[in-house]
Amino acid sequence: MMLSAVFLVSVSTLAFEVLLTRFFAIRQWNHLSFMVISIALFGFAASGTFLSILDTRKKGWQDLFSTRLSVAYIVLLYTTTAVLSFITLNNIPLDYFRLPLEPIQSIYLLVAYILLALPFFFSGLIISLAYALVPEKTGFVYFASMAGSACGAALPASVIPVFGEEKLIIFATLLPLMLIPASSIIRFTRHKSAIKDQRLMTPFIVLYSLIIIGFASFLMTKNGFFIIKVDPSPYKALSQVLQFPKTQIEKTAISIRGRTQKVKTAYIRFAPGLSLKYTDNLPRQSATFRDGDNQFVLYDIRLANEARFAKFTLSYCGYLLVPNTKKVLLIENDGGLALPCAIAADAHQVQIVVQNPQLARIIHNHYRFPVVGYNPRSFLARTNDRFNIIHVENWGTSLPGSDALNQYDLLTNNAFAEYLNHLTPGGVIILSRKLLLPPADSIRMWAQAYEGLKMSGIKNPPAHMAMLRNWDTYTLIVSAKPLQDTTKIKQFATDLNFDLVFLPNIQPEMVNKYNIFDEPYHFLEISSLSEAYAEEKEEDYFKAYLIDVRPQSDIRPFPGRFLKWPKLKALYKSMGSRFYALFMSGEVVVSVVFLEALVVAVFLLFVPIFVFLRESRKPSISQVIYFVGVGAGFMFVELFFIKRYVLIFGDPVISLTVVLSAILIFSSIGGLWVQHKKNAGIRNSLIVLIVLLLATIFCIEWIVDHILGFSVIWQYTSAFLLVLPVGFFMGLPFPLGMRYLLKNPAQRAYAWSVNGCASVLTSIGAAQIALSFGIPYIMGAAIIGYALALASLGRRR
Amino acid sequence: MKKIFLIVILICLNPTLLFSGTLKDLSKFKKAREELVKNDIENKGIKDPKVLAAMREVQRHSFVPDELESAAYADRPLPIGEGQTISQPYVVALMTEILNLTNGQRVLEIGTGSGYQAAILANITREVYSIEIKQKLYKRASKVLKSLGYKNVWTRHGDGYFGWKEAAPFDAIMITAAVDHIPPPLIKQLKDGGRLTLPLGNPFSYQNLVLVTKHGDDYSVKQITGVLFVPMTGVALERRGEIPSQ
Repeated sequence: MMLSAVFLVSVSTLAFEVLLTRFFAIRQWNHLSFMVISIALFGFAASGTFLSILDTRKKGWQDLFSTRLSVAYIVLLYTTTAVLSFITLNNIPLDYFRLPLEPIQSIYLLVAYILLALPFFFSGLIISLAYALVPEKTGFVYFASMAGSACGAALPASVIPVFGEEKLIIFATLLPLMLIPASSIIRFTRHKSAIKDQRLMTPFIVLYSLIIIGFASFLMTKNGFFIIKVDPSPYKALSQVLQFPKTQIEKTAISIRGRTQKVKTAYIRFAPGLSLKYTDNLPRQSATFRDGDNQFVLYDIRLANEARFAKFTLSYCGYLLVPNTKKVLLIENDGGLALPCAIAADAHQVQIVVQNPQLARIIHNHYRFPVVGYNPRSFLARTNDRFNIIHVENWGTSLPGSDALNQYDLLTNNAFAEYLNHLTPGGVIILSRKLLLPPADSIRMWAQAYEGLKMSGIKNPPAHMAMLRNWDTYTLIVSAKPLQDTTKIKQFATDLNFDLVFLPNIQPEMVNKYNIFDEPYHFLEISSLSEAYAEEKEEDYFKAYLIDVRPQSDIRPFPGRFLKWPKLKALYKSMGSRFYALFMSGEVVVSVVFLEALVVAVFLLFVPIFVFLRESRKPSISQVIYFVGVGAGFMFVELFFIKRYVLIFGDPVISLTVVLSAILIFSSIGGLWVQHKKNAGIRNSLIVLIVLLLATIFCIEWIVDHILGFSVIWQYTSAFLLVLPVGFFMGLPFPLGMRYLLKNPAQRAYAWSVNGCASVLTSIGAAQIALSFGIPYIMGAAIIGYALALASLGRRR
Repeated sequence: MKKIFLIVILICLNPTLLFSGTLKDLSKFKKAREELVKNDIENKGIKDPKVLAAMREVQRHSFVPDELESAAYADRPLPIGEGQTISQPYVVALMTEILNLTNGQRVLEIGTGSGYQAAILANITREVYSIEIKQKLYKRASKVLKSLGYKNVWTRHGDGYFGWKEAAPFDAIMITAAVDHIPPPLIKQLKDGGRLTLPLGNPFSYQNLVLVTKHGDDYSVKQITGVLFVPMTGVALERRGEIPSQ
């Protein structure tokens, strides 16, 4: 029964965790969900701490917890707390923007942390009990836990379109209840030694289970669904639009990639970068939203003259440089303005690439252009086609700063180089974005284009670049050939009252004429950077600048990340000393969470050691280091692959699902294999693992580049199998350590707690490592973790 | 039923809500308002006596939810529910000042929101027309403005994109809602020499202003950063000695 419980609870817990990220992605923004879920995962570690403390307080606790009845009670508690925590989280009036204003909001946040930690606590309790009470079967326990988690990771992706997020969360939490009737029918004879009491179906348990199932069923009915219905934050773009009159959601498509909703309204008018010289009405528009944000607008236009307004937008400047445009590639993330530009230019052939297949279908049905619904980088790797214009559209989220943690491989140096490789000799790349102060994104994008041009073998990159702006938007144009005659650009700017920011041979008197800043900040900074590049002193420029505008490569693909910690104070001052301007930055949230996590981890790990555990039951320092190293190493490797695979799949959720499933399956097989291995296997398994990780660091970029060009099915297969050797060996150190390094249940429970704390802290740390140094450094940290574990073994055989 | 459920949860989490009852200390608010104007409005460079007088006069606490009344006179934006915010007082003062209003003018506001900005404008100028597309906000703001006795403010529930044709032309237009372009119909409803202002960015973080002035068929657009953005580039910082030279 114990192994079945471990398996089912693991399936349920991981599915619950994955679905919670979906829940938070809709309700809030990703970086805020990171905050709550990270802390809640300490519930796992707390279960180990609880058992360590129990060991000193209650004699014979092993007998009490090894009965079927106890396991059934814990399963019931898991399900109950999971359902209730989800309901409460969905209805609690927690508002992150009110946190510094209303003391009650801190209580709501605390309630969210505690409530969400409870199901993880009970789930962890079942697993840690299994490790503590059945030491001779740690390989099987590990297998059950990892295989269950692998199934839980894969479950949401396959069934979320059928059930939707809310019902699937409830369904996932009910899964372990299957154990109660099932185990009464099937007799488990193999673990009789661990199970003292064979009673299971007490009237109370039957009644309790029926009440939970009944309540859950009610939640899934029309009358009860309002309690679990997940609506986006009122601050999100969709919530704002839905407050307009006669506005309704016309269509909803749900997948693990996100919730895509098409809205019918007469009040959306999207035209960033529109000149004041345009005096007519805009065409009628509707819009789609992904997870309540990332608005993509669909214009009711078919003919060039209906899209006339697009000729008055900044983005259209690129089309003026390519008369008789034949082939246009539109790489769309959000926005939707690139399509009217192509239509207005009467482009002969328009190819659209969108990451999200649901959005791809919507765009295709609306415009009838060919639309590809997968990773644009992969599309480019597979095609030899060349385009006159490549228009990349990405405007970002509705909350500045929330993009900081988002990995985005379409705006890196490597991406620019790839775009240039797919341009015809006279072709151009167009990129339009929001114009911010202090100048940040515009400088970074200019630098990235510069690096991309350099990577493509172009000797004088500035000769290929132009930038224009109005009061809130800028457009960067990158040309495959040098911009020798800039008259058209200058005339376009003059006619439509746009300002030049950068052009080959630009002079100060040519800038800041129509949309006037106190100083031409953007021109000054980009000119300074251009001069720094010419003198090969660009590093000095990047070091001195107030914020991080260094160009991002595929190694460190975080174009929305700007914070420089040493200059935090100066940045705070430069933005008018307003707390919120910084607080909503994803990176600041990561630091806050890390500090909170550190406090919780110290509490969970030090309390049993210094307050409760008897000297004979305490684990040694080397044992603690071993489990810290193994826990941290495992999580770092997982996160390394998740972040690296985003380049292949273009979507972090798909990457997470593939990596989690692969690593957990192969680790579970490793755990099963190790069941019959001896103590000596620990050292060897760690050495082989470290060698494999080192080999991965050196080969991964080359392999990923090749996988990018594969067909979708081969991408999934090869990405999955690439994890096999590493995943298998990652499954050895933990069960071997549990079995051979530890002597009593208290130590094993404590080791579980150590492993849990290390996992949570490293998952937060990995985010900061990737942001600050780059993704490969996460693997470096994993190697250090496993090397520490190896060193902790000393010379003992 | 959802409301009942929410109330139950709220009461469970915060039993003090059962006994809440706000006693408004008007003299306390008046003092706080005076300090706000002195420390955060005047000190930051707002000089127009009409604007300063209006900021001293209008009760911001009447426009924020009860639970945030105590924060009403802090110089910060406040969430007022349903994803809406009431702007930072300094931004309100700055937006009002750059419109350069005089007593007999007619102003159009797009996005009534809480109604606070309309009240400030009404204290300075003759006629204020304000349009709000979100019905709940429109109702709430209209009620507050009426209860405070503003007779020169006309509110309308509708689409501000097309302005208020019947009352046009306007001496000034203020857009307080987020826009990615300046609606062409609004420009048409602006008098020659008229001024239009709008804030840029999220109210919680960046918020610089744009000022558009109409000169016949031409326009000038100027970014007003006030104290919300202090341009401290690397060179500037180095010059001021705040970072060591590299």
